[in-house]
Amino acid sequence: MVETLLEDIFRVERVDPDGKKFDRVSRIEAVSEQLDMHMQLDVNTEIYPLHVGEKFMMVLASTLNLDGTPDSGYYTQGGRKSLADKFEYVMHGKLYRISDASGPNVKVEMCVSFAGLLMLLKGDPTTVAQKFELDQRLFILIRKV
Amino acid sequence: MANKPQETLQFTKKPYIEDIGPRKIKSIQFSMFSESDIYKAAEVEVYRGVYYDQFKKPHENGLLDPRMGPPNKFSFCATCHGSFTDCPGHYGYLTLALLYIISFFFVYFFEQSCSRVLLLEKERVEFLKKMRNSRIEPLKKSEILKLMVKRCNGMASGRKAVKCSRCGYINGMVKKAIGILGVIHDRSKIIDDSLEECRSAISHTTESRASINMPPILNPDRVLSLFKNMLDEDCELLYLSDRPENLIVRNIAVPPLAIRPSVFVDGGTQSNESDITERLKRIIQANASLQQELSETISTSKSLAGWADLQMEVAQYINSDVRGVPFHMQAAKPLSGFVQRLKGKQGRFRGNLSGKRVEYTGRTVISPDPNLKITEVAIPILMARTLTYPERVSHHNIEKLRQCVRNGPDKYPGARFIRNTDGNLLSLMFSYRKRLADDLKFGDIVDRHLEDGDIVLFNRQPSLHRMSIMCHRARIMPWRTLRFNESVCNPYNADFDGDEMNMHVPQTEEARTEALMLMGVQNNLCTPKNGEILVASTQDFLTSSFLITRKDTFYDRASFSLICSYMGDGMDLVNLPTPALIKPIELWTGKQLFNVLLRPDANMRVYLNLSVREKNYSKSGETMCPNDGFVYFRNSELICGQLGKATLGNGNKDGLYSVLLRDYNAHAAAACMNRLAKLSARWIGNHGFSIGIDDVQPGGRLNENKSARILEGYGKCDELIQSYNKGMLKLQPGCDAAQTLEAQITGVLNNIRETTAKVCMDELHWRNSPLIMSQCGSKGSPINISQMIACVGQQSVGGRRAPNGFIDRSLPHFPRKSKTPDAKGFVANSFYSGLTATEFFFHTMGGREGLVDTAVKTADTGYMSRRLIKALEDLSIQYDNTVRNASGCIVQFVYGDDGMDPSQMEGKGGVPLNFERLLLKVKATCPPGEQKSSSPSEILELSNEGLSKYDTTPDGGCSDAFKESLSEFIQECSRRLKRTRKALKLDDEQVEGENCNILENVAQNISGVTSRQLQVFSEICISRYHLKRIESGTAIGAIGAQSIGEPGTQMTLKTFHFAGVASMNVTLGVPRIKEIINAAKKISTPIITATLECDDNLKSARMVKGRVEKTVLGEVAKSVRIVITSRSASIVVTLDMERIQASQLCINAQIVKEKILQSKIKLKEQHIKVLDARKLEIIPTGDKSKLHFELHSLKNKLPTVVVKGTNTVERAVINKTKKDNKEQYNLLVEGTGLQAVMGTEGIDGCKTTSNHIMEVRQVIGIEAARKCIIEEIKYTMASHGMTIDIRHMMLLADLMTFKGEVLGITRHGIQKMKDSVLMLASFEKTADHLFNASVNGRDDKIEGVSECIIMGIPMQIGTGILKVRQRVENAQQLSYGLDPIIQ
Repeated sequence: MVETLLEDIFRVERVDPDGKKFDRVSRIEAVSEQLDMHMQLDVNTEIYPLHVGEKFMMVLASTLNLDGTPDSGYYTQGGRKSLADKFEYVMHGKLYRISDASGPNVKVEMCVSFAGLLMLLKGDPTTVAQKFELDQRLFILIRKV
Repeated sequence: MANKPQETLQFTKKPYIEDIGPRKIKSIQFSMFSESDIYKAAEVEVYRGVYYDQFKKPHENGLLDPRMGPPNKFSFCATCHGSFTDCPGHYGYLTLALLYIISFFFVYFFEQSCSRVLLLEKERVEFLKKMRNSRIEPLKKSEILKLMVKRCNGMASGRKAVKCSRCGYINGMVKKAIGILGVIHDRSKIIDDSLEECRSAISHTTESRASINMPPILNPDRVLSLFKNMLDEDCELLYLSDRPENLIVRNIAVPPLAIRPSVFVDGGTQSNESDITERLKRIIQANASLQQELSETISTSKSLAGWADLQMEVAQYINSDVRGVPFHMQAAKPLSGFVQRLKGKQGRFRGNLSGKRVEYTGRTVISPDPNLKITEVAIPILMARTLTYPERVSHHNIEKLRQCVRNGPDKYPGARFIRNTDGNLLSLMFSYRKRLADDLKFGDIVDRHLEDGDIVLFNRQPSLHRMSIMCHRARIMPWRTLRFNESVCNPYNADFDGDEMNMHVPQTEEARTEALMLMGVQNNLCTPKNGEILVASTQDFLTSSFLITRKDTFYDRASFSLICSYMGDGMDLVNLPTPALIKPIELWTGKQLFNVLLRPDANMRVYLNLSVREKNYSKSGETMCPNDGFVYFRNSELICGQLGKATLGNGNKDGLYSVLLRDYNAHAAAACMNRLAKLSARWIGNHGFSIGIDDVQPGGRLNENKSARILEGYGKCDELIQSYNKGMLKLQPGCDAAQTLEAQITGVLNNIRETTAKVCMDELHWRNSPLIMSQCGSKGSPINISQMIACVGQQSVGGRRAPNGFIDRSLPHFPRKSKTPDAKGFVANSFYSGLTATEFFFHTMGGREGLVDTAVKTADTGYMSRRLIKALEDLSIQYDNTVRNASGCIVQFVYGDDGMDPSQMEGKGGVPLNFERLLLKVKATCPPGEQKSSSPSEILELSNEGLSKYDTTPDGGCSDAFKESLSEFIQECSRRLKRTRKALKLDDEQVEGENCNILENVAQNISGVTSRQLQVFSEICISRYHLKRIESGTAIGAIGAQSIGEPGTQMTLKTFHFAGVASMNVTLGVPRIKEIINAAKKISTPIITATLECDDNLKSARMVKGRVEKTVLGEVAKSVRIVITSRSASIVVTLDMERIQASQLCINAQIVKEKILQSKIKLKEQHIKVLDARKLEIIPTGDKSKLHFELHSLKNKLPTVVVKGTNTVERAVINKTKKDNKEQYNLLVEGTGLQAVMGTEGIDGCKTTSNHIMEVRQVIGIEAARKCIIEEIKYTMASHGMTIDIRHMMLLADLMTFKGEVLGITRHGIQKMKDSVLMLASFEKTADHLFNASVNGRDDKIEGVSECIIMGIPMQIGTGILKVRQRVENAQQLSYGLDPIIQ
């Protein structure tokens, strides 16, 4: 079984905090239940609608291959068994920034871009930034619970 | 004389003639043509003013004598037997009955009897010593001459008579005669015995009643004798290279027929003669009549009139614009003289010598073609058939050229001529082409049609900068237009509304190579003006990129693949990236298309890193910007951001193409542009993008919002007007009530338009086409949208609201003195809703001003550019890194203080590198991997170590400024890491080894730098810095002139601008640049910026202001009264002490008294009596009868006496600035008088400066003037939003000051900078320069740019700076065999 980098259940707090700017994409704000993380995520709501109050499980993984072989970054024809089978919404992207958030507690922000759809994960350094490094290829896997 | 041309001797063996190669012109010597020279040169005497006889044969000794060359195509030259095309022409001569005096100039300074210069002997020797100094430049010599002339003029033309110190003869006044060309020597005012003698001598004759005057006009014989008697030493003194007799003409050289052709018109019945010939005819006629007069009469007075006529004719022959032509002598049609042939834009110098007509060119309409590469230009087949390139036949191309020859001149890949090795030219017009093709040999040259890949130069006028002519590769295409990629529109400033462009085909391999290397589009992506990218995506390319990279564009596999194949015509290898969305369905985003575009396949090693803030960036959140306005590329992946003009467009230093160009090469950037052009043209064709009426229909909310804003604005205006009418308006500093009202209303009304624009941008749907275009920066601004949809806004004429065209009102539709927005040109309607009649009228008023401005501006800036170019054209970088002009004068020791190339500067403000971006790139491209990050102190150590490896001294080519900025940046890096570690609560220094802490890891990820990264960073910095050094030979002067001249054309003629304080205006725009460049003595808005010694106190600022500002007695006096008592009459002045106290002036009666004494009023100490501190009494003198008038005139004069401040200062304004949250004050002084202001108590003279360059030069010095020029140009350009590299301005300032005085870029200034006659003649005042040069015997070495162009010699600039010289010493002796073991 492939090892995932991060797993948690989030609850959607707000949708489009700055107003709706795009027709098919919304920015959701979600808070994790276990690890006290705060997340902003752009989701294609046209094909995967999310509403305030909904809970979903989010997993971050570095590869979808079940045997754990690393991802090449280029397209492979689908149809194989993969980690994605168990999830409803899967995106592929790249970790591009780790920075320290301002505030009294030490928090770390981690930014991932799924080809323009951004994710910002804010949390404790130990949980958020432990296994991650810059330019890492990441898959986000989401399943509503 | 009917002998045949001499046959050359035939030798059996050719005699040896040393081949010295083509002769080169080294210099031109100007001199005066003497009488004997003319005789020697001439072939024939011309004395008959006739052309042809009845058989159409030219008359012998007539003006068209065949010995001067064949008069037309059908005859031969009688001297050399050449045909019309071969014969160079021969001179004739024409003897004048009386002399013609070329120049009267020198007559003025002679002693009229002994022909010596009118100077005292001591002075004369001194001047002579100066003149004889061998090291003195010709320029200096003319200056000395001028000085001497002044000195002599003072003596000769002064009222008083001058007695010669040598012979005692008394000279009268020598002045120009009125009416005729001549000089009068007027001795009538001299009182001596000669007149009396004369009077008594003729008193008994009958004519004694007539006024007796000596014949005043100096006749030619007299002048000649004067000149003849002149000493050689005096000639030298007067800077004459030759004897002055040559200035008097006895015979005229009749120019050969080649320069004055005679043409038959009307089928050969009449001939049309050149103006010169007709002038000569008139001279001959005048000459003949004079001769007759001379032979008939003895009276000199009569022949004098004939002589004056002849003098006039000859003068007109040389210069037909000569002044003082009597009416009866003016020709019916204007006949041009020689000077007219030379001067002016169409004249010989500017029209034929400096610019020539050329072959192998084409011109037609242009149109766009995004499918072409940016380096290509599509040439119509029609053109390609006419334009040819001479290609030499070789093994590789013989088959191709054979086919061309076979095709002939009319079938496309054909050829026009063949040139054999033995020099024969064979035309391919006729039918033996096949045989010629078969006979083609290696070494022949075939003039073949243009083909794909040929090199052409492409140009659009006006050619304002060097990118206006660039080298493209030809693509032969059907149809009739020249086509090129729209990305290249910018440098040419072309659009496709009917523009035409020119094309030239270089004809040699050398020319082709130089054109490609130096003028190729790829090598000119950046402008040397400031290093910004110029060739970049425009218009539709931006729009489609903007739409493609929207956050919510998704493509399925089919469409994504299709679009991928758009960008390379489906021919490129593309690795499909993993889709962004994998489940529920596979979808790619538009941003991934850009990843593919930048790096299509995995083997391509282009890793782009940049971050740009786009127009729609929400100013916070960086990458998380909700509008997606922050563009971030990381390793060629578009992380976030919607691409627009800031990333892809021109005029940017850290856009995508700039970064590609700097980090990789021009080819990478060009390839990207090509791919984007193809992609977006095809994509937008499928997507569709157009504008319709619904795009400009305002929605309901928008309409409400707009009317609310307008109502609100109107309300505010009404309030203002009311309070103005009541006189309650709070005045702005330095303004009266009307001005304040105007300023405030204008502010309110402009605000309306801006807010409505904002509302528009917010309210419109994102799919609205104008909105999209304005957001991505491809076309249009928010204001434009708002004008179409909501509100057109305030119309302005001359920077104000519409003026009153009628009495007290702008139009008769409004009540008198109405100041409401409507009545003064506010247009509340939009273009969609339609303008009312009055609104429309106001709108046309504004529109007309714009049109007039553009028309005026082009002429103004064109002339300015021309002057700049002429002044700077010959400056170039030499191998020793100095900037010198053509004659080797050093203008700058190091170009721009650091010797960098302005076109390669990456950072803002013209610094060589953008460290921030470079470090980002280094961090992204060499990931830390296993390596640990360095600690802050290690960073510093490493950097010192790393940098010491390289030679960073000025000798090694690194400027101090660069070194400093680099080490400062690295220190900043270490500080940043320190801060991060502090935030993460890590120890300052310690980096744990094995048991790596998570936090440590995080810190490293945030702002850590590994030693490897640091090393790579400093390596890149140093090596890239060295590559940015300017190349030797660069024509940096011309580049600088263009860089300053070109932005001038874009400057709107908006002249005024608030300098910090309202109501204080500074001239800006083209007029200001003109003032600076001309080094004007009087500028329209001189302003002195004075720093106060105590700059945080308003009260003290007011005091200083009072001291500076001009205060007249009238302002501080309570009363100026005339007091008449029975015993005395006086004026009593009472000072208004309260007012003086209030304005913090220290004035009392004593001071006033002193000031009155200093003023122009003629009063003496005893006339003014100080009664007490605030009163003084003035008792005028003079006799009692005039007392009354005197009192009144005094009373009128007294209030204008300046009692405090500087006279030249108009006013001073206190300017409030904020610095570090502290209020600071400084003083802006309107007017001149820098020295007085600097010396005023309370002003820090060291920090006080003026914008008046000449004054700064006078008061502070030449270096300060240089600084002032740089700052003023910079300020003017910056206030029009134009950035120009400081190096260009430095060069201009240095050129203007390097002679030790401030020289303007005008004809007077340029004259003092350059010493080439030809250059000056080709600039302005052509004839004057040539005449002076020949009188002074100037020698023009052909070294400058203009001279070389005129003479057709390669110039010593650019690739011409180097000369290949062969070493002729014997080769080193080689010794063979083993070296001896023991020496």
